[in-house]
Amino acid sequence: MSLRTPLRPLARILPARQKGENPDAIERENLRLRHEAQRDKMRQRAESRLILVALCFMIAFGAVGTRMYALATSDVEEPELVTNGASIVNTRADIVDREGRVLATNFVTNSLYAHPHEIIDARAAADGLASIFPDMDADALHRRFTSETRFIWLRRYISPEQEQLVHDLGEPGLLFGPREMRLYPNGSLAAHIMGGASFGQEAVNAAEVIGVAGVESEFDEVLRDPARGDAPLVLSIDLSVQAAVEQVLAGGMAMMNARGAAAVLMDARTGEIVAMASLPDFDPNARPRPLTDGEAADSPLFNRAMQGVYELGSVFKTFTIAQALEEGLVNVETMIDTTGPLRMSGFAINDFHYYGASQSVEDVLVHSSNIGTARIAQMIGADRQQRFLGQLGFFQPTAVEMVEASAGRPLLPSRWGELSTMTISYGHGLSTTPLHLAAGYASILNGGTVVTPTVLRQDAPVLGERVVSEEVSQTMRGLLRSVVTDGTASFGEVEGYAVGGKTGTADKPRTAGGGYYEDRVIATFAGAFPMYDPQYVIVVTLDEPSETSGPEPRRTAGWTAVPIAAELIRRAAPLLGLRPTIEPLGAYQLSSASQ
Amino acid sequence: MSFLEYNVKFTPTGWRKILYLNWALILLITAVASIGFLMLYSVAGGAMRPWAEPQMERFALGFVAMLVVAMVPIWFWRNMSALAFGISVILLLYVEFFGTVGMGAQRWINLGFMRLQPSELTKITLVMILAAYYDWLDLSKKSRPLFVLIPLVIILVPVYLTLRQPDLGTALLLLMGGGGVMFIAGVHWAYFVTVIGGAVGAVAAVFASRGTPWQLLQNYQYRRIDTFLDPTTDPLGAGYHITQSQIALGSGGWTGRGFMQGTQSRLNFLPEKHTDFIFTTLAEEFGFIGAASLLVLYLLILAFCLVTAFQAKDRFASLMTVGIAVAFFLYFSINMAMVMGLAPVVGVPLPLVSYGGSAMLVLMVAFGLVQSAHIHRPR
Repeated sequence: MSLRTPLRPLARILPARQKGENPDAIERENLRLRHEAQRDKMRQRAESRLILVALCFMIAFGAVGTRMYALATSDVEEPELVTNGASIVNTRADIVDREGRVLATNFVTNSLYAHPHEIIDARAAADGLASIFPDMDADALHRRFTSETRFIWLRRYISPEQEQLVHDLGEPGLLFGPREMRLYPNGSLAAHIMGGASFGQEAVNAAEVIGVAGVESEFDEVLRDPARGDAPLVLSIDLSVQAAVEQVLAGGMAMMNARGAAAVLMDARTGEIVAMASLPDFDPNARPRPLTDGEAADSPLFNRAMQGVYELGSVFKTFTIAQALEEGLVNVETMIDTTGPLRMSGFAINDFHYYGASQSVEDVLVHSSNIGTARIAQMIGADRQQRFLGQLGFFQPTAVEMVEASAGRPLLPSRWGELSTMTISYGHGLSTTPLHLAAGYASILNGGTVVTPTVLRQDAPVLGERVVSEEVSQTMRGLLRSVVTDGTASFGEVEGYAVGGKTGTADKPRTAGGGYYEDRVIATFAGAFPMYDPQYVIVVTLDEPSETSGPEPRRTAGWTAVPIAAELIRRAAPLLGLRPTIEPLGAYQLSSASQ
Repeated sequence: MSFLEYNVKFTPTGWRKILYLNWALILLITAVASIGFLMLYSVAGGAMRPWAEPQMERFALGFVAMLVVAMVPIWFWRNMSALAFGISVILLLYVEFFGTVGMGAQRWINLGFMRLQPSELTKITLVMILAAYYDWLDLSKKSRPLFVLIPLVIILVPVYLTLRQPDLGTALLLLMGGGGVMFIAGVHWAYFVTVIGGAVGAVAAVFASRGTPWQLLQNYQYRRIDTFLDPTTDPLGAGYHITQSQIALGSGGWTGRGFMQGTQSRLNFLPEKHTDFIFTTLAEEFGFIGAASLLVLYLLILAFCLVTAFQAKDRFASLMTVGIAVAFFLYFSINMAMVMGLAPVVGVPLPLVSYGGSAMLVLMVAFGLVQSAHIHRPR
């Protein structure tokens, strides 16, 4: 307080007294003035403080309002747990067929897990889950939900319908984690080619998808390569042809009471596999576990067309005769001694039917004479035969781009002597896959250049090494056509498609001990169509077929594999854009021109 | 010490007082409370029970209480303030020893027809006694240390008792409300600077020491503080409420999902949806427009209180009105800031809207006091 003005200043009191006024009035007036001054000062300060408080209010309002605005205009974002480590990258390229139809794609779904401490009604949650997922046990779930556990995995992935049902339970303790899973929309179609995928690293919010078999595994890195962008992996498969092949093969396999079946449909020029089927098959969306006991070949996961190595039998005669023609050792009219049995190192070679003491090369093939073929092979000799078969790729696993391809390693005789040469000439003693066979036929029939089987679409023609001349290829087309028109594969005729090919019926080797079963065979048809200008090669192999419509079970390929192959061509050829046409006259040069 | 005697001109008496009520304020309060009824109706899934109907009954009761309080001259309330404060402290002590335990804290006294939370009552009585104290105190003495210590003790006793319950939110409100009254009363700013500076310094020291050999807290305590300050680091644990409410606010957008269409609140994502987090329901169902409207209503209520404080010539009335305004402001601003993730989650309800009997009644009585100051001001 500064210097106070006195309440009774003498300067005013004395004159007032002299005038006879009451000096107390002056004091009262001064007191009032002082109080007013004091009050004004106080009010001023209080008001300034009030304004300060009001300012604080305004600032707070501004902050709240701004925040409200920011939140209202923000996009809703689910909170994400801050997890350690880099997030899992899981965008995987699609796989499409040669026409761009989807074979494998990604599907965003959810995993299901529980936070028991957040579950409100454990009983209702357990009962509800058990009714949605029949394999869950309500009581066991209830025990787990009421335990001290903080986190429970319930399902690695669930369908959208199941997700909705779980949502409808309205239980906040049941939580979903996003999952990108691999979807094969065509189910079991081309199952062995696709292989399948499963989860690698798994976290609550994401899981890594990795290929486990087939092209998914072979091209795993490519499919996961972010640099590819949206570009899908284009396969050589044609989805509709594949579907037709699988359907016909399944029907045929049932009709022929076979244990398994395989079929390969290959472009004869490029080696593109247009369809490849192996039965029994599986659904890559729910890939079964590998068998723990028994033969691997009994598992549906086993790809008979590519992994199964079999002695394929007489279908190999094609190669022997083609080589003999190519080497100039014989022409189609050369007579071959077919008197049997042909004895060699204590081993007798017999024919199924006897067609006379000697037959032309053409008849050896048409009638499928083992003795005749063996004699031709004797002319060729082991060295040349090995070189020729090696050129055709029969000594190495196929180069097809699937992880399982290396399992299809051919079985060669340990000592390749003259006897081996003779038996291999008609398809015994050398085990290969049906896919090898298809590639070999394609190489002989496409004009004589080696093809390499592939599952990727080839946009340009692939020209391999030459194995036989154009003329020999022409001749072989005619010979194989004759097998269908006049020989063992007569059921293979499909009007308008000029099918040609060779049958092969090989006894299965005994699993225990040596020798062969007498009533179990591998029946194979290998051929091409249309024969005057082969576009596609087809191989159908049946494991232990037995056609029972006759009085006795018939197992030979002519009765089992050939009708299936014919039906297959009947269905697939139109899908491949081939029109039925009349075979041109003189399409095949069956003369001795090559000599 | 009052200066009324110099300029008393006119004060309404008897039934005429009704005409001098601040009817605009009454309208605003009713509007805000009605928003609360709507929200409680919606949160219950379109039902009057269990929340909307009792809330309406309490509002009606509170409305009558407000009118009764408003009719009584303000100087009566000044004379009663010490008694009222004493009663509320005794009730706080009673709760400390005999209270009902609810939600992990002792807060209630069961009166049969309602559960009384003495800490709510204390918010008003504390403002009243501080206003009365500064009305009594000679202006020249207000910044002397002794006379600053007295109101400090008055504030700290109920703050300590509420902290014991434990109810951090209410304790903070009491502390800040009381500090607000002291600030308006004109206590020297150096005291506030010292206290605020000291608090900031302490917090800074705690954080600065982290990771150094002389750190003041254990590591797990720091982690708890981290989660408290930034709940998004633990969205399914401590941060559950706040992340869910922010989703609700975000999904409301500009115009909201529509009445009764809110998903976050109605699907039980928010356990406290009818009390502390009711604002999220509003923001989700009526969007930014709805939420901003409520904010504007609150702002208007505050403005009316401040105008009343400015107009009052009576020091007690002025201080008390500002104190109530500050308390009211702290209430809803802390609640909104908490819901929107601007402030840590402390249990503070949204005034007049959140379900809760004590808070509603006490607030209505407080507005009755403001009305009383409005009516009985000299004109």
